[in-house]
Amino acid sequence: MIDVNAYLGHFAFRQLRYNTAGGLLRLMDRAHIEKAVVSSAAAITYRNAQSGNEEVFGEVKNHRDRLIPFAVLNPAYADWQHDLKVCREEFGMRGLRLYPNWHGYKLTDSRCLELVHAAAAHRLPISIPFRVEDRRQQSWLVDIPNVEPREAAALARAVPEARFIFGNTSGLAASELGRGDNLPANYSIEISLLTALLTNEIGALLRSLGEDRILFGSGMPFHYPEGAVAKLEVLDAPAGVKEKIARGNAKGLLGL
Amino acid sequence: MTTRRDFTATALLGSTALAQPGRPHVIDAHSHLPFRLTPEVVDADRMMLDAAARLGIDQLCVSILSPERPVSLEGFRKGNRALAKVTNEFPGKFLGYCFVNPGYGARALEEIRHYVESEGFIGIKIYNDYLVTDPVMAPILELAGKLRVPVLQHAGHTSWLPSPQPNISDAGHIAEAARRFPETMLICAHLCGGGDWEWSIKALRDAPTAFIDTSGSVADEGTVEMAVGVLGAGRVLFGTDLSMTASVGRLRGAQIGDADRRKVLGENMAHILSRRRA
Repeated sequence: MIDVNAYLGHFAFRQLRYNTAGGLLRLMDRAHIEKAVVSSAAAITYRNAQSGNEEVFGEVKNHRDRLIPFAVLNPAYADWQHDLKVCREEFGMRGLRLYPNWHGYKLTDSRCLELVHAAAAHRLPISIPFRVEDRRQQSWLVDIPNVEPREAAALARAVPEARFIFGNTSGLAASELGRGDNLPANYSIEISLLTALLTNEIGALLRSLGEDRILFGSGMPFHYPEGAVAKLEVLDAPAGVKEKIARGNAKGLLGL
Repeated sequence: MTTRRDFTATALLGSTALAQPGRPHVIDAHSHLPFRLTPEVVDADRMMLDAAARLGIDQLCVSILSPERPVSLEGFRKGNRALAKVTNEFPGKFLGYCFVNPGYGARALEEIRHYVESEGFIGIKIYNDYLVTDPVMAPILELAGKLRVPVLQHAGHTSWLPSPQPNISDAGHIAEAARRFPETMLICAHLCGGGDWEWSIKALRDAPTAFIDTSGSVADEGTVEMAVGVLGAGRVLFGTDLSMTASVGRLRGAQIGDADRRKVLGENMAHILSRRRA
């Protein structure tokens, strides 16, 4: 399996275990996850997100066969162009991770569009988690709303040549993003918070978006990875489709 | 040959479970069935049983909540009537919680007595109409103690105000109620669907007669370990609250001993059920 939604480093509001490269690899072995896309949890609240990218670069450098680093960039912060260049050329980072509501910008701001165009030019996929934590458990210090699906849809429409991963989200099936109506097929949905039984959101998205646009992700080490694994296990879908979700689609998107 | 169900139940026990004889008996201490206007079995009930079977869950303790707020007398009566039909149709699979609004006083108590004593319901479900420490709850907690059935109390703790549920109880309220009614088996609902779970666990530490169920959609790593570590495995109950894969996943992943996992998965709830007055 390839997990497109994993983190390294500290998070400001809760202790994370397994948040070093060694710890995450133990978690991955336990859940039979072969490779994981990782980005900095600390960069979510660092003012200068690049420090988090440097930390991740240091953590993964001896584990590049299994840990695939993405850069957390903030287009509202000074010098992101330089950070992008360093992350891509020196750190070998394979994609970007954006936190618009934590970093204080809109996905359709001109600053963000400039960054997304730059990522597209370098064929870097852009991962956007719609939330970091369940909003009910946020610290008294913050009040960060989830990313609105319609904002993500507007971004997908604005930059059709970019490739997006939308994750840490649920309830999309009836939305514009979930239906794919009049939107370019330039985004995939990650499953960590989707249902596989009863309301079966994964099944609904497979029907509307197709089997090539659903990706396995767990949110580890914020989350137990076993919940996401269980979703794939009980999903009522042919083995070939599960294989695509588990790794095939991610391999294509990440160029592995 | 190992079936899928055997595999998932074994996986719930952890990696060493293959050496264990038999598989754990798994009881979901917190689930629901959809509200319906007439007392009949619906497809969603069968779908729930199928989903549970696919995840190795043997029994589901369920309530049917009526949709209106505040909960009306006719609303909770309709839900309980429908649930009695379901529990009779699937004996031993669905175990019923009697759902009431405690504000209806004697009529709520009469409803509980009827469904526990005559329809075999296993407990009482309370939502957010009143805090569990409100005086209107006292007769219900007292009755639950006499009947020796658990009270599953909806709960949550957030750090931001105002709460969208102004009368929601949190684990601190439940701890206080448990101290006032030590004979009553109070279950703090959905550790993983009630806001700040670390706060909730800590708030229950000094209420040794109170339990907590692990249900909810939040998949945070470490929840089960902290609950077992702080409260002891004997006070932690497996539940889903309809978040089935996330809830099973946290028990699969939790780094606790197999004996503790068995307690959480079913033994604790089985013990609670066994205390019911004949």
